[in-house]
Amino acid sequence: MTARNAGLVACQQCGQVHPLHTRICKRCEGRLVSRDTQSLQKVWAWLIAGMIAYIPANIYPMLLTSTLVERSESTIIGGVVELFDHGSYGIAFIVFAASVMIPVGKFVAIMYLAISVQRHSGENQHERHVAYEVVEFIGRWSMIDVFVVAILSALVQLDTIATVNPGIAAVSFALSVIFTMLSAQAFDSRLIWDADRTNQQ
Amino acid sequence: MSDPNTNGPAPLDIRPVKKKIWQRVSLVWLVPIFALAISLWAAWQNYRDRGTLITISFENAAGITAGETSIRYRDVIIGEVEDVEFSDGLTDVLVHARIDQTVAPFLDDDAQFWVVRPDVSVRGISGLDTILSGVYIEGNWDTEADVAQTQFIGLEQPIRTRANQRGTTVTLRADDGGSISAGAPVLHKGIEVGYLEQPQLSLNGSQVVVTAFIESPYDRRITSSTRFWDTSGFSVSFGTGGVSLNVSSLASIIEGGVEFDTVVSGGQPIQDGATFNIYDNEEAARDSLFTDPNAEVLRVAVLFEQSVSGLAVGSEVRFQGIRIGEVSDLNAIVVGQGSNADVRLQAVLSVEPSRLGMGSDATVEEAFSLLSDFVTRGLRARMVTGNILAGTLFVELVEVEDALPAIMNLTSGDYPVIPTTDSEISDVAATAEGLLSRINALPVEELMDGAIDLMDSIERLANDDSTRNAPAALVSLLDESRALIASEDLQAIPNDLRTVINDINGLVAEASETGIITNLDAAIATAAQAATNIEQATQNLPQITADIQALTTRANQLELEALVASATETLNAIDAFIGTDDAIAFPAEANAALISLRSFLDEVREGGAIENVNDALASASQAASAVEDAVSTLPALSARANDLVTQITTVVNSYGERSRFSAETLATLRDIQEASDAISSLARTIERNPNSLLIGR
Repeated sequence: MTARNAGLVACQQCGQVHPLHTRICKRCEGRLVSRDTQSLQKVWAWLIAGMIAYIPANIYPMLLTSTLVERSESTIIGGVVELFDHGSYGIAFIVFAASVMIPVGKFVAIMYLAISVQRHSGENQHERHVAYEVVEFIGRWSMIDVFVVAILSALVQLDTIATVNPGIAAVSFALSVIFTMLSAQAFDSRLIWDADRTNQQ
Repeated sequence: MSDPNTNGPAPLDIRPVKKKIWQRVSLVWLVPIFALAISLWAAWQNYRDRGTLITISFENAAGITAGETSIRYRDVIIGEVEDVEFSDGLTDVLVHARIDQTVAPFLDDDAQFWVVRPDVSVRGISGLDTILSGVYIEGNWDTEADVAQTQFIGLEQPIRTRANQRGTTVTLRADDGGSISAGAPVLHKGIEVGYLEQPQLSLNGSQVVVTAFIESPYDRRITSSTRFWDTSGFSVSFGTGGVSLNVSSLASIIEGGVEFDTVVSGGQPIQDGATFNIYDNEEAARDSLFTDPNAEVLRVAVLFEQSVSGLAVGSEVRFQGIRIGEVSDLNAIVVGQGSNADVRLQAVLSVEPSRLGMGSDATVEEAFSLLSDFVTRGLRARMVTGNILAGTLFVELVEVEDALPAIMNLTSGDYPVIPTTDSEISDVAATAEGLLSRINALPVEELMDGAIDLMDSIERLANDDSTRNAPAALVSLLDESRALIASEDLQAIPNDLRTVINDINGLVAEASETGIITNLDAAIATAAQAATNIEQATQNLPQITADIQALTTRANQLELEALVASATETLNAIDAFIGTDDAIAFPAEANAALISLRSFLDEVREGGAIENVNDALASASQAASAVEDAVSTLPALSARANDLVTQITTVVNSYGERSRFSAETLATLRDIQEASDAISSLARTIERNPNSLLIGR
């Protein structure tokens, strides 16, 4: 039994339940759509854009560090390796988790959700829903890398002595995170349950 | 859900119109497409700009780091080292680098690479930035693209001359490379216009060859008549022109350097790579301009009998003050045979005919005949002191008017011989020694001691209180003496004296007029009276003379002359204490006193006392003369009086002794006798010392 079967549509923003064909939420004036038919298209589009942006984010340097002595460029993976070499295992793990594990995990999770919906799979509906919640919740924390780079760039501007500038990868990574978040946002989680319903019929 | 056959029409099979693909496809797909396009474009751009991979081999790759060391061309980064590895057999280090696509076509076979490292030299510090940034590889090639290459052999030493630098390269040859080093400056009129490359030995090892680069536009100053010379360090030369100290720039002192100049015009332009010699110094270089090495020289000999110490190979030969050649050889030869053999010192002179005023096309024979004519007319050689400090000599050809006839034999011996004359060699050592000994003999120390003593004395005198008080004391002394001289007592003395003398005069006149001989009593009485008067007068005389004496004594005590001398000295010394108040007041006082003194003296001289005294003394003299005359008769008078007394005594004795008459008569006679004795005594006294009457002594 779903709201749609009951002839109802719920507002996704405030949760107010309306008759099925109501267009605008009475409470929050949000748009009311019973099922977003283009949801999966948007998910895939944003996801692919995010993955494309993630490639230069790893190839190009994230930080351009210029000191009096030398000028170094560090990529994400290079920075992790360097931190690991210096013995900062904790920080290396955090950076690795925030910059590699989470984005890649999100890609995988969203792809899995989208594919499963397209296949009308009815298995593990609850697990998939939890996965979606986690993906949407954790997405914003991927920006931690970008924030670190932004803060460092703003603070360390000592002209010739030491300068930290963001590299192309910082922009790419930020774009990747944004696209991935939009992708997760575009996913209509109700489709998970519809697939189940379709299967049952 | 409901049975279609029961009621109503069968439900319509309502199907929505299938939307067209652009309606079904979300616009969001533009985002990944756009992202993909940008990524592909960036990747392609990156690939296209990747650069050309070249390989440079070095013997030593110190400081070269893959991924960091940059390749630079004219200090612009054009590439980066990607990899450093060893060649087969570990003989070389291969540096792989990516070069910008825009530059790569120019890397043809003239491209050179070297490693720029920090370099500290006397000319400064270069490559300082590489201390912090690490070394980099500098490249140099011309601006014409040729067949591009990718394999290069790196240079071990940086080159200095850039391929596209405008200028001229010349090759310099020097006998000694000790004063030239790579990078040393090439100077022209003191400014740096180029530099030297690394000096190298010539192929046959006899010379040092160095390539010099002269920057444009200074290279236009170089012609075939340009001369290069060594300016390294400083040189002190004792030439015939005196002491000469040449110091070039500080850098060239340490590092050496080469200077060039083109003194004469008319040289031909040179081609790149022309060869020049480096002369030892500027003088040699300039001299070489006038010396055509191909020109013929006259070689003549001069035989000197005395020592030629101070003469050296290269010493000048002058004719009427102009350099015409130089001494080219010095040796000793034996002249004569057997017991007459003698050792002479032979100087071979190389004389340039052109310097003798002959044309450049004159032959040696013509020059010899000209020289021979000169010798016949009295041309002689002699040694002359060039520089007395250094003791250098040069050979001078002079015309000696009364020379012994001589000819120059052109045929015998190795060289024609020019006869000699007396040399003019001044011995500076002896002169200097004499001067020093004379200076030593000067009593400088005594003089200084005396001067110091004098200064001390003057200082003590000037500082002495009594000296400072002297003006005041002098003033008071002058005041006292003025008062004394002005006193009436002193001025009255002459008058008193004159009165006394007048009295004497009267007395003597009276005495002379009186006929004493005729009247015995009267004579006796007058004589007694006279004697008494004289006695009284003479009793007064000592008083007067004592007064005069006292006066004289006091006057003596005044010591006027000494006083005047003292005053003069004092006045001379016034300068020493002009600052004191007394000294300032003194001149007025002293002046007044001296004026008074002078006026008094004038008064005394002109109308006053001295004439009076003179008159008085003259009168006294006359009186004394008269007295003397008178007195001269006194002995006779006394003799006669004695006779008279004797007669009277005889007469009286006949009248009987002890009678009253006789007693009175005897008393009278004794009186007379005493009077005559007194006169005698006076006469003797006056006779003995007539002046005593005047001066009281």
